[in-house]
Amino acid sequence: MHKLGRGHRDKVQQFMAITGSSEKAAVQALKASDWHLEGAFDIFYSQPHIRTVTDSRHLEELYNRYKDPYVDMILVDGITLLCNDLQVDPQDIVMLVVSWHMKAATMCEFSRQEFIGGLQYLGIDTIEKFRDKLSYMRSELKDEQKFREIYNFAFGWAKEKGQKSLALDTAIGMWQLLFAERHWPLVDHWCQFLQVRHNKAISRDTWSQLLEFAKTVDLQLSNYDEEGAWPYLIDEFVEYLTENGIVQRHQN
Amino acid sequence: MSAQKKRTFKIEAFKHRVELDPKYAERTWKVLEHAIHEIYNHNASGLSFEELYRNAYNMVLHKYGEKLYSGLVITMSGHLKEIAKSIEDSQGGLFLEELDRKWGDHNKALQMIRDILMYMDRTFVPGNHKTPVHELGLNLWRDNIIRSGKIQTRLLDTLLDLIHRERTGEVINRSLMRNITKMLMDLGSSVYQEDFEKPFLEVSASFYSGESQQLIECCDCGEYLRKAERRLTEETERVSHYLDVKSEVKITSVVEGEMIANHMQRLVHMENSGLVNMLVDDRYEDLSRMYNLFRRVPDGLSTVRDVMTSHLRETGKQLVSDPERLKDPVDFVQHLLDEKDKYDKIISKAFNNDKSFQNALNSSFEYFINLNNRSPEFISLYVDDKLRKGLKGVSEEDVEVVLDKVMMLFRYLQEKDVFEKYYKQHLAKRLLSGKTASDDAERSMIVKLKTECGYQFTSKLEGMFTDMKTSVDTMQGFYANQYSETGDGPTLAVQVLTTGSWPTQPSAPCNLPAEILGICDKFRTYYLGTHTGRRLTWQTNMGTADIKATFGKGQKHELNVSTYQMCILMLFNSADQLTYREIEQATEIPAPDLKRCLQSLACVKGKNVLRKEPMSKDIAEDDAFYFNDKFTSKFIKVKIGTVAAQKESEPEKQETRQRVEEDRKPQIEAAIVRIMKSRRVLDHNTIVTEVTSQLQSRFLPNPVVIKKRIESLIEREFLERDKTDRKLYRYLA
Repeated sequence: MHKLGRGHRDKVQQFMAITGSSEKAAVQALKASDWHLEGAFDIFYSQPHIRTVTDSRHLEELYNRYKDPYVDMILVDGITLLCNDLQVDPQDIVMLVVSWHMKAATMCEFSRQEFIGGLQYLGIDTIEKFRDKLSYMRSELKDEQKFREIYNFAFGWAKEKGQKSLALDTAIGMWQLLFAERHWPLVDHWCQFLQVRHNKAISRDTWSQLLEFAKTVDLQLSNYDEEGAWPYLIDEFVEYLTENGIVQRHQN
Repeated sequence: MSAQKKRTFKIEAFKHRVELDPKYAERTWKVLEHAIHEIYNHNASGLSFEELYRNAYNMVLHKYGEKLYSGLVITMSGHLKEIAKSIEDSQGGLFLEELDRKWGDHNKALQMIRDILMYMDRTFVPGNHKTPVHELGLNLWRDNIIRSGKIQTRLLDTLLDLIHRERTGEVINRSLMRNITKMLMDLGSSVYQEDFEKPFLEVSASFYSGESQQLIECCDCGEYLRKAERRLTEETERVSHYLDVKSEVKITSVVEGEMIANHMQRLVHMENSGLVNMLVDDRYEDLSRMYNLFRRVPDGLSTVRDVMTSHLRETGKQLVSDPERLKDPVDFVQHLLDEKDKYDKIISKAFNNDKSFQNALNSSFEYFINLNNRSPEFISLYVDDKLRKGLKGVSEEDVEVVLDKVMMLFRYLQEKDVFEKYYKQHLAKRLLSGKTASDDAERSMIVKLKTECGYQFTSKLEGMFTDMKTSVDTMQGFYANQYSETGDGPTLAVQVLTTGSWPTQPSAPCNLPAEILGICDKFRTYYLGTHTGRRLTWQTNMGTADIKATFGKGQKHELNVSTYQMCILMLFNSADQLTYREIEQATEIPAPDLKRCLQSLACVKGKNVLRKEPMSKDIAEDDAFYFNDKFTSKFIKVKIGTVAAQKESEPEKQETRQRVEEDRKPQIEAAIVRIMKSRRVLDHNTIVTEVTSQLQSRFLPNPVVIKKRIESLIEREFLERDKTDRKLYRYLA
């Protein structure tokens, strides 16, 4: 992705959102069409897909069941109904996984393409099939690679549209949710530290680097490297932990 | 006549060998032997050189060289043994004399003998790998005399004893010593070294070790060094008089080692007389001596330098943290300059302008000047003071000298951008209040700053000068334009300042008195007429005014006040009494400035053109102000305006520092982007290093701030972290 210019990156995003394809396929199609979106769609849809065939009529029905009466989107009420049907709490983290599969742009809403495209990708066209798939989706959180993708996805999904950073309260909520799945003992201290010392929105870089931090640095911070190019907030967090005696660091 | 056969001469070799009869050889030898005896007995006059030579020649010729040679050896050895005995028998002081005399004799004898045996020396000796006669004579002397059991030790002891005595002040026979040591050298440098020099050096070492222990207990540092220097001179002189020249460097290094190297730390740190005391008291002679002595020993100079450095840093640190000193910025800087002068003098007078000392001085200054983060401000205030009045009457060269000295301090500053900010502020005040003493001096300073820091640093400062000049022209044009009207109205002098060049001050608007509004508007119209597209804002917080005032008894005074003060005073033309609140409302001057103005108008003795009730120093909301009819002053012109630049109050300082920090952020970002654009991929630490080195001529960037800027650039998608190595950053096109 980083080899692409900004304009191209936008197109890839769009393509993926609309077709529900993978990044690789999107780039392929766009390259083949010399970066014209319409041409890329043609190329994409003319290719055979190996996937579970879903009944598009069922999908339409499902969509219409949850769709908001006034807008062509599934909004909060629709989602509540969906969760009901799925017998799942709306706060359940599995909904995050669902949103991830749908490549939902923002929390608490799904566009038509996101919903239908997502379900197609998952091979779901009934509520029963959806319910069955939930335990699989839960298990995906245990996979290191997927967890990282979902974690990073959560940033863009949870933040306000048009904002660059994630509001602190929302971030804390998300962290509580995510680190319940993948246990990180310092998460509470982290959240407290932010509220006391930072009290501002969280940048994307800080968000993604925090996961790396949680994964690589041990609880005694013995392998924390001051020269390790960690975001400054994390440096301050380490200071906070040592100052308050929460962690005894041995300066080596 | 019969033909006679001519006879040619033919010389033929002997048909038989002429053998030298061994008896003949023996006889010949005896002649020579006898001659040797005679020579040694000082009876050589009766001998015939020619006969002896011939005899020796014959012996060699007839193959009796060996006999001759060995005979020589035996005979000579025999004599030498006798000589040895006579030397051994000599009493006390005569020992050396006897030795010397006998040596002289031997040399004379040896020369004669060699001459006699020259043929053997030239033909027999080389062919049979024998030692030549002269050398043989020396070796035999060496083995039989010098290295004889009884003589060897006695000789050494005598020599060493004499040297010791001379060292303790006695006078000895130097020429005798010279002869003896020369003798040893003639015998071979290894003889000189083994039999004399080595033990000499050892004994000297223990002598000086003892002496230095003693001296260090009872002398102060300067005294000790003088004595050490004297000893060194003495030893050098000794060598020149009666030792081998090659001994000089060896003996001096012994003295240096024992007297200086072994006591370096103690000398340097000696209480009340050590290096620090010498520095404090400017004892150039002592310092110079120390320098010259210490440079002879390993680590000597570095010891001196290190102590000087730590002392400098300590005193410097105290200087910049002393609250008393910090009360007066000009005094503070003067002290720094004096300290620099002092050490420059020391280094040039006593330390031989040694570059490494100069560097130590520079690094120490750099260290402690930057310990106090107000140094940039204070240095600017010092320059301000000098450019205001301090340089009146001082010649141009002296001006240059002072400014050059200040530039030296400037170079030590890490936060040059802070200096720039203050310099601008102070310059602005000087220019606008017309207080600069010498235009040339001002220009000179700008040139120096430009040379040091480049065009960018001074372009705005120069802009300020340009504005001042342009304003003069503008005013001329303005008044030329006003045909009638000027008459009784107030005269206006406007300086038009270009916003970017002058230090930004939030321009608080205030209400100008009606009396001057007219001419102000006329000016505005005039100016905008000739410069369309520009916007003019009156900087009411920076101007001055001259007002004519008539007091109670009719005494007239001319008051020089600030614009704010003018607004306040003019109100009293239409009211006898006004409260604080009323004044505030009418003028709309911001409260802190208003309070300060009222204080300077009502509470200062000799300047109280207003009267305040109550008479307290503080201004309260309900205070009432009256025009002070009873005001008197011996001066016609009374100055009440705000005065020279002063060091900032705490809140002002905070504000300035904040602004400086804000200004640094874009500079850091620009540096990061420049670096990443050319290098494409870099790790974090390298970026920090590169940024620091790019910006260090202006200020020292804080690594945490650099990190934050990097994160900000990541946010704005100029950079991203590498996907595989999170410590690497990539430049995004």
